[in-house]
Amino acid sequence: MQDIKRVLLTGGGTAGHVNPALAIGSIFAGAETRFLFVGIRGRVEEDVVPREGIPIKFIRASRYPGRYSPEMARFLVNLLIGSIQSIFILLRFRPDIIVGTGGYVAAPIMIASALLKKLRLSRARIYMHEQNSVPGKLNRLMGRFVHKVFVTFSETLSFFPGRGMLVGYPLRKQISRESREEAIQKIDFKIPEGRKIVLVFGGSQGSRIMNQALVDALGHLLPYRDSLFIIHGVGLFNKKEYHAVRDTEERLRRAYSETQIKDIETFYTYHPFFYDIENVYAVSDLVVARAGSGSLNEISAMGLPALIIPKSNLPGNHQVLNARSMEKAGAVDILYEQIAVENNKLSETVSGKRLAEKLLSLIQNDERLKEMGAISRTFFNQDALVRIEKHIRGETATDNDSDLLLMKSGKGYGLPNNPSLLRRLEREAEKHRHDYRPEMVVPRPQDLEYLKNRAGTLLLHSSWQHRNLGVKLLGLLGAKEKIPAMLALYFERKPVLWVKKLLGGDFEQVGFIRRNILTALVRLDELSPEIEEALLAGVTDPYYEVRAQAAHAVAHFGARLASTQTLLIAVKKLLEDSNIDVTVAAAEALGQIGGEQDALPALLGMWDTRLWKVRAAVLRGILHLVKRGVIGNPEAIEDQATKFILTSTDFRPHFEIKAVYRHLMELIEMEKEKRIAP
Amino acid sequence: MIYFLGKFLHTQFEAFSFLRLVDYITARAIGAALTAILLTLFFTPIFIRFLHRRGFVDQWRNTGTVSSYDKTGTPAMGGVIIIGCILVSCLLWCNLINGYLVSVLTGMVFFGIIGMIDDVAKARRKSGDHGLSEAKKLLLQAGFAAAFTVYLAGPFSPLPADQIGAFYIPFLKAPLYDSVLFYLPVVFLFVIVVGNSVNITDGLDGLAIVPSVFVIGVLGVFGYLLGRIDYARYLNYSYLPGAGELVVFSAAFIGAGIGFLWFNAYPAQVIMGDTGSLAIGGCMAVLSVVLKQEALFLILGGVFVAEAASSQIQDKIGIRWLGRRIFLRAPLHHAMQHKGLAETKVVIRLWITAGILALIALATLKLR
Repeated sequence: MQDIKRVLLTGGGTAGHVNPALAIGSIFAGAETRFLFVGIRGRVEEDVVPREGIPIKFIRASRYPGRYSPEMARFLVNLLIGSIQSIFILLRFRPDIIVGTGGYVAAPIMIASALLKKLRLSRARIYMHEQNSVPGKLNRLMGRFVHKVFVTFSETLSFFPGRGMLVGYPLRKQISRESREEAIQKIDFKIPEGRKIVLVFGGSQGSRIMNQALVDALGHLLPYRDSLFIIHGVGLFNKKEYHAVRDTEERLRRAYSETQIKDIETFYTYHPFFYDIENVYAVSDLVVARAGSGSLNEISAMGLPALIIPKSNLPGNHQVLNARSMEKAGAVDILYEQIAVENNKLSETVSGKRLAEKLLSLIQNDERLKEMGAISRTFFNQDALVRIEKHIRGETATDNDSDLLLMKSGKGYGLPNNPSLLRRLEREAEKHRHDYRPEMVVPRPQDLEYLKNRAGTLLLHSSWQHRNLGVKLLGLLGAKEKIPAMLALYFERKPVLWVKKLLGGDFEQVGFIRRNILTALVRLDELSPEIEEALLAGVTDPYYEVRAQAAHAVAHFGARLASTQTLLIAVKKLLEDSNIDVTVAAAEALGQIGGEQDALPALLGMWDTRLWKVRAAVLRGILHLVKRGVIGNPEAIEDQATKFILTSTDFRPHFEIKAVYRHLMELIEMEKEKRIAP
Repeated sequence: MIYFLGKFLHTQFEAFSFLRLVDYITARAIGAALTAILLTLFFTPIFIRFLHRRGFVDQWRNTGTVSSYDKTGTPAMGGVIIIGCILVSCLLWCNLINGYLVSVLTGMVFFGIIGMIDDVAKARRKSGDHGLSEAKKLLLQAGFAAAFTVYLAGPFSPLPADQIGAFYIPFLKAPLYDSVLFYLPVVFLFVIVVGNSVNITDGLDGLAIVPSVFVIGVLGVFGYLLGRIDYARYLNYSYLPGAGELVVFSAAFIGAGIGFLWFNAYPAQVIMGDTGSLAIGGCMAVLSVVLKQEALFLILGGVFVAEAASSQIQDKIGIRWLGRRIFLRAPLHHAMQHKGLAETKVVIRLWITAGILALIALATLKLR
């Protein structure tokens, strides 16, 4: 084992990547060790790393866009330039070991070092640390070039077969419990005595959703200003689309009057970033944070109770999974993002009111806070640095075996993924056509709420297949509160590319989505003026399955509809539709909402229509009219109905032997049950 | 074998001079057809019982139609009987060193084996959706198609050297385009697409076998005419020496097909399964290629083309990409059922269509 004299650290973009890199680097600190940090300009590392006394060099890199788009070209160009820069850096610095903590920032260095190694120009050993339970694509790829991938969660091991090692999250040495009094001294802003202190932050970059929610919540918290003090870490995010600090200030000014802001300032302070977050932790009674593994591990190390707002729609939904496993243990409480309609667009939000309510209920319960803090403290193992050091210094020989064991036991969070959930729900709904309830599949209410939320976030997914999946799930999960979101999706008429149009595509919210939204509305069995508007729009939809489904929905709601007349006229037009599914559905719908004057003549007039399925549906429609008792003169129908063409081009085959067999099997099944019963 | 034996006997011994009959393709064709039909009629019932005992029965697939549900439990892999009887009949009646015949038989057997692996996998896993994966199937088929194009362009090709790159279309005397670089990729794709088209068509009782008999029958006629220098000259086709042997194959196929239909007619006692449909697709593809009738197949095999195209367009373009159905249902026969036609009616209408298309294809012989 040669001496480790030159250590190259890389990984950045957010503190969640920079901090573990610095923490691992601290293992090798010594008089003779030289460090170099490689990051990108304008992100956290530019600020934080020099403070630690470590020189930093910058390279080009950009985020992996995840799908083919113009962004992809930029990513590839930057990756190429970054890798060339990295080669020069590596050749000059000649590191003994390289530690990458993931993120797109680390990719060029990883690629360059793997290349140099192949060319025998470098002897550096390469290590990677993965902080999230579900690694991104780039990290999975880089995992192939390195000696060892240290992981935080045991589930992650399966992504790096043969190279993973479970260590936990490397925390900086500063993150440890300090006395509250000392910490208050060190903090550079004033904290009033005798109040409950709440730290709210959405990671080093800040989170728009959390910042906005908190600003909205302040109004609801005003009455409690004497017992509460909120420290808000707004975040460093600073781009065209969102500037964390400026946006927060503006929102404050817009939402509250001058005097209100004066009052708010007595219990609220905000800062872009805390360089000494350990001190802020030390004074806090409760933390409100995202579920990044950095934040969670720090909270756990400090033994703090927390309210977690997991970010949805991340790879593998890892923030939600992280948060849920901590919640199950009782260490934190969760507030889910909701999808909401804002300016006719769907987005994820957290309402200020809900945040305030949740916050207050926690703050006012000392017992619970204490208990949560205690559980939180024991939730993560905190010897990651020790394990990493042992491994790098060659003191643990065989760690792969233990990894395998952990892999087997640590798998899964007990809830099915979305496609398999859909399969189960569909199977159950098929079995219990009339008395289906989602609780048959998901009995625990907390789980059901979570799954509804998870399905709801799918509506924002960029691929229509996922949005469609979300719509189907929401219907089957009975998510009535998501109807406005579905309707917003339904009415969003953004046309598709001309290529798709040429082949029969229409809108971004494709035919299947629109059809399934209508199906979900029927399943949820709710009515409102907006829903009736959706039905009316559906009847004239360009896609035939939507028209048919709209007619089905009309038939389902029947007399409960308020705008029967408009719908009736629209549905009557569908009788002339060129598509068989549509005419069939329309004829049956007329039977449910029509009357003797408006529907009956149209139906009777179709006695000689070409397809027997349509004629059968028309007769069914007339049947409904008669059953509903809206026909004053049944003899008139008798006269006309005799004209109907009754020849059919189809029949139902009856296989006698199969019928007998089925009968026998049913009997046996009943006998079996009888025997079990007593 | 009868061919070789007869040839040997009548050339060596005066007493066997009546065996000159084997020199006549038509005589051997009739023999082959009769052999195949008798073999299938005799062996299929035995084979059906064997399939039942081994559990090689059709597994349920959710296609959303009543008839597909009631097919559960019908033994699949009837294709084994078709392949087997054709092979035996050809062994007896054909000149086995004929390059045309060998390539067609190889295509049939290779595709048949792919189908058989698929059928066995489905029966093992008790699920109609979990056979051989589509990618693996395509890979195997592409392997065959590639080997076949190489063989076609190589020194052992049965085709005359000046015909290798010629791409003919119906109603035109001269080749549309004569370039190996263009033609061979066309052949490669053609073999894969046509090889699978019967598989897609095979969904209702008797639906695949009768149009196949029409197609291969017509191609047999083409083989006979193109394999005779006088007729080929008269019809203005380029003469393909040796192609006449394909008539015997074609006759054996017709015989086996009709024998199979005896049991496969609605309601079916046995269905051909992927074994049969892929084998038929394979030999049909190779047959069209060696007779230079690839473009004609678009008309002749119109039923298969429509079935395959509707299914692929619906699935790949509509459901996966556009997020909508383009046809009511796919493939074509399910769309017809959905509109309210009984299974038998759908099948007979498609037979009639295939018959009309076969006649049109025959008409192209002179209409050039």
